[in-house]
Amino acid sequence: MSRDVQLDRVTMRFGSLTAVRDVSLSIGAGEFFSFLGPSGCGKTTLLRMISGFMEPTEGVVRIGGQDMRGIGPNKRPTALIFQNLALFPLMTVAENIGFGLEVRGIPSSRRKARVEELLDLVALPGTGEKKVTDLSGGQRQRIAIARALAVEPSVLLLDEPLSALDLKLRQHMRAELRAIQRRTGVTFIYITHDQGEALTMSDRIGVMRAGVLEQVADGQTLYDHPATAFVAGFVGETNRFTGTVAETADGMAALDTPAGRLLGRNPRGLGVGDRAALFIRPERLAVDGDGPNRLTARVSHRDFEGSFVNAFLTGPTGTLMVQIPHRGQSDPPLVPDTDATLTFRPQDAVALPWEGE
Amino acid sequence: MTAAGVRRFLTRTYLVLFFGYLFVPLGIMGAAAFNTSRFPTVTPWTGFTLQWFPALFADQRLWQALGTSLIVAAGVIAVAVPLGLAGALLLNRLHSRARTFLYAVMVSPLLTPGVIVGISTLVFWRQWFGVSGGIFLTVVAQASFIAAYAMLLFLARLQRFDPSLEEAALDLGASHGQVFRRITLPYLMPSVLSSALLAFLQSFENYNTTLFVRGLETTLTIYIASKVRTGLTPAVNALSLILIGLTIIGAVVYEIMRRREAKA
Repeated sequence: MSRDVQLDRVTMRFGSLTAVRDVSLSIGAGEFFSFLGPSGCGKTTLLRMISGFMEPTEGVVRIGGQDMRGIGPNKRPTALIFQNLALFPLMTVAENIGFGLEVRGIPSSRRKARVEELLDLVALPGTGEKKVTDLSGGQRQRIAIARALAVEPSVLLLDEPLSALDLKLRQHMRAELRAIQRRTGVTFIYITHDQGEALTMSDRIGVMRAGVLEQVADGQTLYDHPATAFVAGFVGETNRFTGTVAETADGMAALDTPAGRLLGRNPRGLGVGDRAALFIRPERLAVDGDGPNRLTARVSHRDFEGSFVNAFLTGPTGTLMVQIPHRGQSDPPLVPDTDATLTFRPQDAVALPWEGE
Repeated sequence: MTAAGVRRFLTRTYLVLFFGYLFVPLGIMGAAAFNTSRFPTVTPWTGFTLQWFPALFADQRLWQALGTSLIVAAGVIAVAVPLGLAGALLLNRLHSRARTFLYAVMVSPLLTPGVIVGISTLVFWRQWFGVSGGIFLTVVAQASFIAAYAMLLFLARLQRFDPSLEEAALDLGASHGQVFRRITLPYLMPSVLSSALLAFLQSFENYNTTLFVRGLETTLTIYIASKVRTGLTPAVNALSLILIGLTIIGAVVYEIMRRREAKA
């Protein structure tokens, strides 16, 4: 069976609440796709509709081209990794992994061989007879992955499975997940509110807000070319200046903001008089540079992060964040309680429609 | 005496009185089994004897009554445990009003006096199905309220059940029947055992409901009660002592098993 997933105008309503609104999307076979968004944005609902635990109010989910309406979770070529993993506590590791094969009536000798294979895949050979309660968090994680892969799903769905792990393990598991995905060629659909997870693992990311899919793109595109103000603010750190468009020309827009007139790209074709917000990343702000975009602000404090320094300044629009690479200079700029002039290139900033918060 | 001393004194006195209240009657009852007196009493103490135990074993009607009690109890377990389990599973999946209503329906036999349960079971079955009193009706009447106990036990355990386990099994391709057999039922197994035990005890000691639906059958409690009228001998005390002994052994075994499980 082909492994692509198509969402065709999928909508999910609970009473008067619309959890997912008109989402259309095509996820390719063997792709690592992430849904990124704050809690309550509808991403878990979307996942449950793909896995078959919920039927969309409107629209169609297709897997491998096949309409999934009326097909229950136990009949779909998907496997879901639950947020709490949902390992069966009364079964051994091997029984957990072999469960999907057991209920399909696969004889125990073949089951055993397959379980061994999967334990090798997740780098836990010889743990089959252990109880799942005796395993560490990272090991349980891998057993959950092995159990899901045992049924040879076309699509593996992952519901924030790393959120319970500590930072080090989380970073390790990111690489592990990515490697397993490449080795197996299974389509991964990953749900997270952690942009770091989404950016490091995914081929493409869909950013969701309030049930709406705001933008679908690879990580770098999301970061450099956000399509909406929400994406600009949610993916990575950014500084925002809200105001009114004063002039437009050649794909650029000039905004009148409390910090003065600022220039940036205008990808959405804003017109004069439109409400807009200009976004500029902390690392694109320069101290005492040239150019038309100049801001004056007072340095409030500096955080030394090792390879870079985060400086926070108070300006007419509130707090500004500036990130300066640290290259061993003994006399770093932006001394607290002094005024500083910040500049940025217009092509590094982006103006997007703004409806206010 | 200091305030703490007074408190300690009062606590101890209370405990002595409390446990005395619980156990002195049992002690007297047990001691009477060894008195040579023809009546179950410790005063006057006419001499030590073991004669009431052989007398007990010679009482054919008592053994018959015990057999009836065991058959009824087995029937009650077979009806009440699955019924309670089904009710608990259903309640656990329902929400809001339907849940409140069903809960009230299931639990109401517990709040109804046993006599009423007995009479209404008899009237219902006799009028509608022409069934008169006997082992069948005794099982039905007892199970109607014992099922509610079983259901409460299952509900308590289900409250700590992680429903995502069932979803995970379903997601891995299990049918609903397979999910129940492999995931839900094994999790509920301790409650199956404890509700079976509870059903047994409740059935075994039941008197007031049984009285109306027993027909010509005599359970152990009914037999003992009838002996009160026809003349009680210390053989009944001997029987009670044996039952108490079995109960204590059962409780100890259960506790040992529980601790072993907690350690594992």
